Amino acid sequence: MRTLRVFFEKRGNIRYISHLDLMRTMTRAIRRSGIPLWYTEGFNPHPYMTFALPLSLGMESLCESMDIRIEDDTPEADILAALQSAMPQGIEITAVKPPVLDPKFIAFAAFDCVFEDAADPDAFCVKADELLHRDSLIVQKLGKKGHKKVMKDVDLLEHLQSFSLQKEGDALRLRLVLPAGSTTNVNPALLCDELLKLTDGAVYRITRTALYTKDMEPFA
Amino acid sequence: MFNKEIEKILPLVQKPARYTGGELNSILKDKTKVKLRYAFCFPDSYEIGMSHLGIKILYDCANARDDVWCERVFAPWHDMEALMRERNLPLYALESGDPIKDFDLIGFTLMYELCYTNVLNMLDLAGLPVRAADRTALTPIVVGGGACACNAEPMAQFFDMFCLGEGEEVFDEVFDLLERAKAEGWSKAAFLKMAAQIEGIYVPSLYDVRYNDDGTVAAITPHDGAPEKIKKLVISDFDHVRYPDKFIVPFIEVVHDRVTHEIMRGCIRGCRFCQAGFLYRPIREKSPDTINDQCRRLCDVTGYDEISLSSLSTSDYTQLETLLDKLLEWTIPEKINIALPSLRVDNFSDSLMEKLNKVRRSGLTFAPEAGTQRLRDAINKNVTEEEVLRTSRKAFAGGWTAVKLYFMLGLPTETLDDVAGIADLAQQVVNEFYRNPDKPKGKGVTVSISVASFVPKPFTPFQWEPQDTREMLLEKQAHLLSCIHTKKINASFHKVDISFLEGVFARGDRRLSAVIEYAWAHGCKFDGWDDSFRFDTWMESFAACGVDPLFYTSRRRSFDEVLPWDHLDYGIRKEFLIREAKKAYESKTTPHCRIHCAGCGADRLNGGNCDAHA
Repeated sequence: MRTLRVFFEKRGNIRYISHLDLMRTMTRAIRRSGIPLWYTEGFNPHPYMTFALPLSLGMESLCESMDIRIEDDTPEADILAALQSAMPQGIEITAVKPPVLDPKFIAFAAFDCVFEDAADPDAFCVKADELLHRDSLIVQKLGKKGHKKVMKDVDLLEHLQSFSLQKEGDALRLRLVLPAGSTTNVNPALLCDELLKLTDGAVYRITRTALYTKDMEPFA
Repeated sequence: MFNKEIEKILPLVQKPARYTGGELNSILKDKTKVKLRYAFCFPDSYEIGMSHLGIKILYDCANARDDVWCERVFAPWHDMEALMRERNLPLYALESGDPIKDFDLIGFTLMYELCYTNVLNMLDLAGLPVRAADRTALTPIVVGGGACACNAEPMAQFFDMFCLGEGEEVFDEVFDLLERAKAEGWSKAAFLKMAAQIEGIYVPSLYDVRYNDDGTVAAITPHDGAPEKIKKLVISDFDHVRYPDKFIVPFIEVVHDRVTHEIMRGCIRGCRFCQAGFLYRPIREKSPDTINDQCRRLCDVTGYDEISLSSLSTSDYTQLETLLDKLLEWTIPEKINIALPSLRVDNFSDSLMEKLNKVRRSGLTFAPEAGTQRLRDAINKNVTEEEVLRTSRKAFAGGWTAVKLYFMLGLPTETLDDVAGIADLAQQVVNEFYRNPDKPKGKGVTVSISVASFVPKPFTPFQWEPQDTREMLLEKQAHLLSCIHTKKINASFHKVDISFLEGVFARGDRRLSAVIEYAWAHGCKFDGWDDSFRFDTWMESFAACGVDPLFYTSRRRSFDEVLPWDHLDYGIRKEFLIREAKKAYESKTTPHCRIHCAGCGADRLNGGNCDAHA
């Protein structure tokens, strides 16, 4: 039995499925692929499967990963091919290899946010740039206090590690890096929603592009 | 795929994957290369619709043709509907994202009466008039099928046609005719007149209904060459009938998320309250090899880890153990669970128990239906108390600690003693658990009793019976609760208001179309969902339309009354139903079809063939 890390992209309409749905989808895809999956040995055997960092519903990603356990020493390339052939539309397997880092070392995530259909793209760009250069941007976020859920104030700009703003035709592309992982996690949608208030008619689409450790080493 | 405006609202709704399509095994075609676009609509939520076996079968049959593209449509949930209406986005099909108002054929599965307002709502969301007469162009043709088609008279004003019985093969003829009509530029009237000649197709607008002064039906008269009686379709070679070789695998969790295989059609039992038991006759079984092969393939292409062997009474499948042996050979190593819904208590054998024990254990459910032997005889359930207890004993010995029992309240001839009998029977099952010397240590038993309200349905021996009023049912529910003296018995009840409405439509006639339209226009939809059901609006709608709902539910009909569904032929002879009704009054049973053919007449639909007397 050995553990393998399966890296994959999640793009297109499949971004509308939740983390729980993705787990179910993956369980079935792995069954279809026929790879020699290792099952737990309890009363109710189930495959071992764990995801590095759940992705919010509605987001696309180029850097998802899940760890699975395999019974034998089937070559990784064969496993990749078998898995790919069983995936639903929108999931692309990019690599299968032994895990290097424990997911608990994930500290940051990079996102690519594209805004389209703004009523006045130029004005929107200027306003967005101004907002991102403020000293602070406090929003309310649903957080936990013990076991209770409470609204908490978060300064988004304090957490923002880096960003770049670019106009591409009528679209606006915002690249940013935010804390991610089990200790601090900031959802880029909070910032995108603030930007959306600066214009009429716009929509945004977020893609998670990379995961990093606290030293900005890529998660592998 | 779909329009960008839809993409804008998806982040704002719950479970957006209900509306995106793209699931594994869904079928995409080039719309420029097909002759007919067919929107197959299910008038309930995605999760309910995607659990429905009929949709999977008919989706596969229609798409088997290269010239037809059949796509799925479900009722958008309240949040999605509100946004679609606010932004003028018409109802679209999941595969292409195209608005269904431009399709050639729109089909609805009418699986139960409380989905009727959703049909109107979906037509309206599509941008189509809800009344058939107001849709004057040839296409889209709106067709209905499913269990409620046996008396869809309350929906007659909204549909262009209905398909009676088993749809696997009839659609070929409908597609051919519609292609011809489109090519030759026929009027809708001309098409419907021709369609009425296809066996199993019922065009309601070609039948005039006259009423007597007392409100009962006087006569149903066909015109324009439509047949006097429309005969339901049956598949004669059930073993070789087309069955999907792949199922769409939903991304989100649906109610029945597994491989389902229909191993048998029809039921030998003849329980007098059960519409399905009569509607789906004659009895036809699929061979164990066919089932085994098809299940294997379906598991391979879906990745599901559960198979449900479904039928109206799975333990009556003659080769159940042979089938299980074949299946277990590969399902055990592949860790696939086998579920057997619809088991009976009277033929639940030790070896069946042993086989079930080899796979993951799920709940055990049995349906005694009534609490006393007298009433079980009256409804022809043919199950004895001793059988219920013996089966419970076996289940407890096999390690089960929870049993679910189904009952009904409001059955014809029922008294309060029969109601008390339900609590008594459940108590005896509890006692049986504690009598088991090997009962698991430290574990209690749970006996759940799920108590539905009986609704008389067409094509059953009880189609002439009055239905208990809501007040009577509530009184019986209270009486039952007062007879339960232990916390080991959990009772749950169906809502009586919902059963009442179901009863009105089950045996309703065309005059109810106005009520349905009024109720829908005043906000009724998703009536089968407790938190969407608006009983007061329904009662207002009856009043506003001058229709007395009790006329349909509380009245005892005489055997010679013309019933609104008398022009539909489901094979079952009326004389047989009358005979069965009279036996019920005397609490006399009728042996099941394999012991003795009761002469229901359904075999006539299949050239005199019925597997029960083969």
